[in-house]
Amino acid sequence: MGKVLEVKDLVTTFRIDKKEYEVLRGVSFDLNENETLCMVGESGCGKSVTTLSVMGLLPNNGRIVSGSIKLNGQELTTMSPKELNTLRGKQMGMIFQEPMTALNPLLTIGRQMTESLMLHKGMSKKEATETAISYLEKVGIANPEERLKQYPFQLSGGLRQRIMIAMVMSVQPSLLIADEPTTALDVTIQKQVLVLLNKLKKDVSTGVLFITHDLSVVAEIADRVIVLYSGRKVEEGTIEQIFAKPQHPYTVGLMNAVPNVDLDEFDIQPIPGTFPNITEDIGGCRFHPRCPYATERCRKEVPAELETEPGHFVYCHKVEEEQSK
Amino acid sequence: MSEDKKTLLELKKLKKYFPVRRGVYIKAIEDVSFSITEGEKFGVVGESGCGKSTLGRVILQLYPQTSGACIYYGRTFDEMCPKYFAKEIAKLPQYQKKADEYFKKSLEIDKKADVVRIEIDALSARGSDKEVKKEAQLAKKLSTLEFRSKELKKDASRQLREGSRTVGSLILCKDLPAVQELFSKAQKETVISSEKIHKYRDLERHYEESRVAGNPDENIKKEMEDITVQIKEHVAAAKAFRQEAWDTYHGKDILPITERCLDPEYQKKLDGNYETGINLGKLTKPEMRELRREMQMIFQDPAASLDPRQSVGKSIEEVYKINTDYSAQLRKEKTMDLLEKVGLKREHYYSYPHALSGGQKQRVGIARAIALDTKFIVLDESVSALDVSVQAQILQLLNELSDEKELTYFFITHDLGVVKHFCDRILVMYLGNLCEIADSKVLFHNTLHPYTQSLLASVPRLTLNQEHSTEFVLEGDVPSAMNPPKGCPFHTRCSKCMDICKKEKPPIIEKEPGHFVACHLYSQE
Repeated sequence: MGKVLEVKDLVTTFRIDKKEYEVLRGVSFDLNENETLCMVGESGCGKSVTTLSVMGLLPNNGRIVSGSIKLNGQELTTMSPKELNTLRGKQMGMIFQEPMTALNPLLTIGRQMTESLMLHKGMSKKEATETAISYLEKVGIANPEERLKQYPFQLSGGLRQRIMIAMVMSVQPSLLIADEPTTALDVTIQKQVLVLLNKLKKDVSTGVLFITHDLSVVAEIADRVIVLYSGRKVEEGTIEQIFAKPQHPYTVGLMNAVPNVDLDEFDIQPIPGTFPNITEDIGGCRFHPRCPYATERCRKEVPAELETEPGHFVYCHKVEEEQSK
Repeated sequence: MSEDKKTLLELKKLKKYFPVRRGVYIKAIEDVSFSITEGEKFGVVGESGCGKSTLGRVILQLYPQTSGACIYYGRTFDEMCPKYFAKEIAKLPQYQKKADEYFKKSLEIDKKADVVRIEIDALSARGSDKEVKKEAQLAKKLSTLEFRSKELKKDASRQLREGSRTVGSLILCKDLPAVQELFSKAQKETVISSEKIHKYRDLERHYEESRVAGNPDENIKKEMEDITVQIKEHVAAAKAFRQEAWDTYHGKDILPITERCLDPEYQKKLDGNYETGINLGKLTKPEMRELRREMQMIFQDPAASLDPRQSVGKSIEEVYKINTDYSAQLRKEKTMDLLEKVGLKREHYYSYPHALSGGQKQRVGIARAIALDTKFIVLDESVSALDVSVQAQILQLLNELSDEKELTYFFITHDLGVVKHFCDRILVMYLGNLCEIADSKVLFHNTLHPYTQSLLASVPRLTLNQEHSTEFVLEGDVPSAMNPPKGCPFHTRCSKCMDICKKEKPPIIEKEPGHFVACHLYSQE
């Protein structure tokens, strides 16, 4: 299995009121072909900034300070905007949370779908239309020919999101970034979209970077999971490792906060405190003000990487101390 | 749901249509009836577009209902006298007169019909062409007459039904003016008590002001207690007048307006129409405003419901500014207390919404909703936009507040996990129709309606490697509410669809105590 994406020690900063604030504080991860990597965390933890950094779509006040991002071995951080433009859509596609804002309301679905095929794949209009139709069929849309003539406002939210997926997948990118693609959808439609993404991933053999804040969605779709907290990775592992043996207190807290439909008795257990603002200066482990196990060491030292099992990485002093005992 | 609990709110065949253009409506709510008891956490689940938000807003009268009624029992007629009620009392003899008129007319028509019938009988004995023609003509005439008499009879009982809303079966009483007088007397008592309530609020303000100033005025406190007693007396007097009317005239001296009037069953039915609660749809604007002190709403997006240019303190104070005459100092003090109550700090009084996190903003929204003497809150997806850990914090806060202040929640959400653990009873809606309603534990263990089953199957689970059952995964989207499918609204996506589902709308049946379901699968048994 080849590595599609390698991100190493990525540091991204944002300029707010003439001051630079670190939003990502050294994030590293790899994504393999045919794999779904889920990035989980609360809003403000840097999930979306990671995807924007990879796509080269950071807003004007954001910039990558250090670290490297490699897509199929090519370094992206040093690329010019023009070179990046040729990669976007062709090698890496992105699905957004709100499909209505991602589609052009003035163009038909057909026009929008064929445009990217003609541009990136050099197809003729006829070929592009045929490919578009075959992909619309793949995402389970009835009467694809009819749909191609329609405008986005004529479609429901679930259909729009499926068309977005068909549009991105038809170019067969090696990397697909899905930024909360199901958050705006109803549970029934969410289920349809998740089933679909799983199926298409195998067909096209793409690496999927799936961003979500919903742990139960992670359980449905992920192969591997990264938990982010305030710009740092706190835990990484395969889906089984994370769900069976969550190590970091933050991951455990997240799991306990989800109201589980399958349980009869459930006490709502929130993580105390509030999520830190990026402008806040917190020394040591970023989670220590909310952690029930925080010690003096947590306040001062940034925890180092610790591999508890092959492939299961944790960044926590408490886990490290327990291991060394 | 225990029997002794008081009902707070009752919906009767509530309908809400939004007009699109001539003759075309979005049928957002179709004949929804249920009741909510005091202190209950009532959850409403469904996909977007199922009418759950509209329902919440219609209850608060932010949208007027198309038909049906929302009846609020948080205050009774003895405590508050809405204008419509006085009008209804004045109209009582009119109802009686009209019903009488209609019924008499229908009897006259019946007589005419009898004549025609005899003519027909006479004719059919022979049978030439001409006479067959005439017979057809007469038969047509007869059926029109029969129809008219039937309609008139219906009108008559409709009039009686309208009247029975205010006085029950007393509408049949011969001595209606006496009944009317007693009810008016009760009404007068209520007017006095509502004036006293205003006086009480005034005193309360003075007391609070003196308390904030540092020396609580005990004299005022005493006066307040006196007034409370007086209010109670007036309320009791109003009740007594009504009871008197009831005791003296109920079941006696009945006017035989229609033939059914003497039937005790029919009288019982009319008694059943008797409303003690307040019909929210009929209130005037100032009256509804008075009730809004008790009925509040918390929205989904806390950022959108706060003014970015107003500090948090000012936003909350606005509630007091509009609804009370509190002095500036008292308002501030009350606001500070509220901030602490919802888990914020007193310093937050001065901060602006952009400086708060999503959870903190929602806390401000909650503070605003409970600022006055709130009894009932509609929470429209209030925790859906929050991260799980914050969501859990807010749910915990809501739980604490409901225990402390005896609040009743109407909790709208699409998240089944949240309703299961937060709500006592759950209503499942689809395309404006009621699908299933049950205690939350029952609903999850004994799921009856196929739509509820598929909703449950679609919920992403926290457990791994489970069998992903595809049996209940729904195909397609929710149909448009502009022309909903005929028969059962869910039949287009239902895996257990039968022939009858395409033709007839399923009735709502009580499968087990407190568990209602609208599905043909269960109505045939």
